[in-house]
Amino acid sequence: MPYFHQSACISPQLSFPEADLTQIRTSVKNLLNVVEPDYPGIPAGIKRRMGKSVRMAVGAALPLLEKHPQPDGMIIATANGGMEDCIKFLNQIIEYNEGLLTPASFVQSTSNAAAAQIALVTKNHQYNITHVHRGLAFENALMDVVMSLKENKNAAYLLGCTDEISAYNYNIDSLAGWFRKEEVSNIDLFTTSAAGAIPGEGSFMVWMNNEQEEAVAGLDDVRTVHTEDPAIVLHAFKKFLSENFAEGEMPDLMLTGENGDMRLLKYYDAVESAVLDTVPVARFKHLCGDYCTASSFACWLSFQILKEGSIPSILLKKNTASKPVQRILIYNNYRGAQHAFVLVSSAHEFLVDR
Amino acid sequence: MSRIIITGMGLISAIGNTVAENRDSLQFERSGIGHIKFYKTSYAGRLPTAEVKHSTEDLNKKIFGEPNPSITRTSLLALHAADEAIRDSGLTAEQMASNETALVGATTVGGMCLTDEIFHDALAKDHGTPYLSSYDYASVTMAIQSRYGMMGEVSTINTACSSSANAILFGARLIRNGYAKRAIVGGAESLAKFTINGFNALNILSSKACAPFDRDRNGLNLGEGAAFLVLEKEEDCRDKKNYAILTGYGNKNDAYHPSSNSPEGDGPYLSMKDALQNGGLRAEDIGYINAHGTGTENNDETESRAMIRLFGNVPAFSSTKSYTGHTLGAAGAVEAVYSILNLVNQEVYPSLSFKNPIIETGLVPVLEYSKQEFIHVMSNSFGFGGNCSTLIFSKT
Repeated sequence: MPYFHQSACISPQLSFPEADLTQIRTSVKNLLNVVEPDYPGIPAGIKRRMGKSVRMAVGAALPLLEKHPQPDGMIIATANGGMEDCIKFLNQIIEYNEGLLTPASFVQSTSNAAAAQIALVTKNHQYNITHVHRGLAFENALMDVVMSLKENKNAAYLLGCTDEISAYNYNIDSLAGWFRKEEVSNIDLFTTSAAGAIPGEGSFMVWMNNEQEEAVAGLDDVRTVHTEDPAIVLHAFKKFLSENFAEGEMPDLMLTGENGDMRLLKYYDAVESAVLDTVPVARFKHLCGDYCTASSFACWLSFQILKEGSIPSILLKKNTASKPVQRILIYNNYRGAQHAFVLVSSAHEFLVDR
Repeated sequence: MSRIIITGMGLISAIGNTVAENRDSLQFERSGIGHIKFYKTSYAGRLPTAEVKHSTEDLNKKIFGEPNPSITRTSLLALHAADEAIRDSGLTAEQMASNETALVGATTVGGMCLTDEIFHDALAKDHGTPYLSSYDYASVTMAIQSRYGMMGEVSTINTACSSSANAILFGARLIRNGYAKRAIVGGAESLAKFTINGFNALNILSSKACAPFDRDRNGLNLGEGAAFLVLEKEEDCRDKKNYAILTGYGNKNDAYHPSSNSPEGDGPYLSMKDALQNGGLRAEDIGYINAHGTGTENNDETESRAMIRLFGNVPAFSSTKSYTGHTLGAAGAVEAVYSILNLVNQEVYPSLSFKNPIIETGLVPVLEYSKQEFIHVMSNSFGFGGNCSTLIFSKT
């Protein structure tokens, strides 16, 4: 079974190098931008040429690779890659009317630049792939690691993701009506009722193998579905529950991707209706904002919750945990069309007397 | 472990709108490389490309009847090829919608073929274009997903020029690991100012038709197109057409430079070796190689070195990019279909525009169409970021 080991998370909260969720950072002008470290591990010459998305990915990956220099593969998710570099290059094309351009932004903007840079910096020749399927890119990467660890039982993988807010994709998504129009603090995201979310960004990296020893969590299952029909989401969710829980058993916590967009509440209501009323439900997008690979932040949060055994109150939507949290079910929804269920469990659940 | 069988194929490129038309062009040495007719770029007339011979409006009408206002050329090409593959395999609407059918797409440009529209929408305060949700890579795969109401696992991969080779191997792995019973896999790419200017800035576009593996080659020609394959488990498709077996696949990284191969072709060598190992084959089992062969100085020499390292005596090989141009994210799937045509028809297609071998390596690609007997065909796809992938197809 796949286990999560060391991880690193660069997010809008104080998550890197160590987690500190006692203070919550608030959004500025409806944006939740990451707290970028200085990245002392990245050589200055290389760092200067990196766009933010690649920089965050390499910055999060390098500390893990100091301890484990050569993974058997790098499995990276990013929906948009280097969006800022991409538009920078498009700008040049228009501005110079397709004249003589410099290729740096073009090369940096390709989606696989993050996975490629990490492989290049660490001279790693192994399996290397970039999943870009919008709101499910991270789940596809998780699925890839599950398969890789079945195919190669003794292997270890670097799994991760990165996505950035750029002024341009922010503008495009705003025009499409996906973000709040009125100014709102992330702290009030769930107490105000409106259409739209607050955008966020971040990078998450984790070392994974089949070894339970010293693991922070296990990855029990991951499944996804495309639909706009809440009834189909409910059906898929019930199937996921029945495949992973014995009759009458429930997750100790539901962690959902509610993003403050009232148009999407029907999906969360449907999913929450399928678990017992006593199951605690928590949310995370008021901390990290909404972006394509935001469910990775939930994954990282679940490690913190499993470590502490309790749920930070800032996350809770309803109920509190009456026993130590062992199994966390993450339901994420991207813009009402892409749905994912991920089950993360304590790596040591069988050591605890239930 | 179940053998993975190809039961359907679809392909649109500069040399034909269907798999059959493509084969016809390959047999009769008709290249699709020429002047740009439909795409608006200041390089039209200056840089030859391999363009699909349909306007976007025509494709839209052909596929949707009533034109879809928010769909991009890349997605239309994807739908054209996927429709053909699904029809060819005889999959029913019910099978397509079932949660047992996975879909894995690939592209490097996605909806960014609409350079001017994306630029407008990135700055406009209101009145966005109809394409606001069509710029990303996933939009291409999701066009197929929504057309067939697919409920199975769906994924999009972008590893630059090896993207669709990785889509094919990822689909096979989804089946083998129980995430799906069958998978629709492939990729699509359309010409774009983004890629034309990007490759031009890197000085690797040729002003003439590309000449893969030729001593005096001076770059690649960009192409566009899409190809999709239907993968099924052997035990599930005994009563239908079996084109070939996907015997082995490899994925390795060159880890040398963001946009060029290492001098000895480490990534290409490791990727080919990985595919052999994965398929339980020896180098001498390979009867023919559809090379990556872009026509750039760097690729063709390093790929040659890698082939010599692995095979010693290099089997017959050629580059079909001398017909289709380099279709980037679609290339792995386009060339997978050509490799399967090699096998099914026991024939090889010549590399075009080749005159003299590269001095240091001396390799000569296939120069004439001929019938040949072989059991295993290898197809290479190498991309920026060192992403190298190799597929091996075998006779059923």
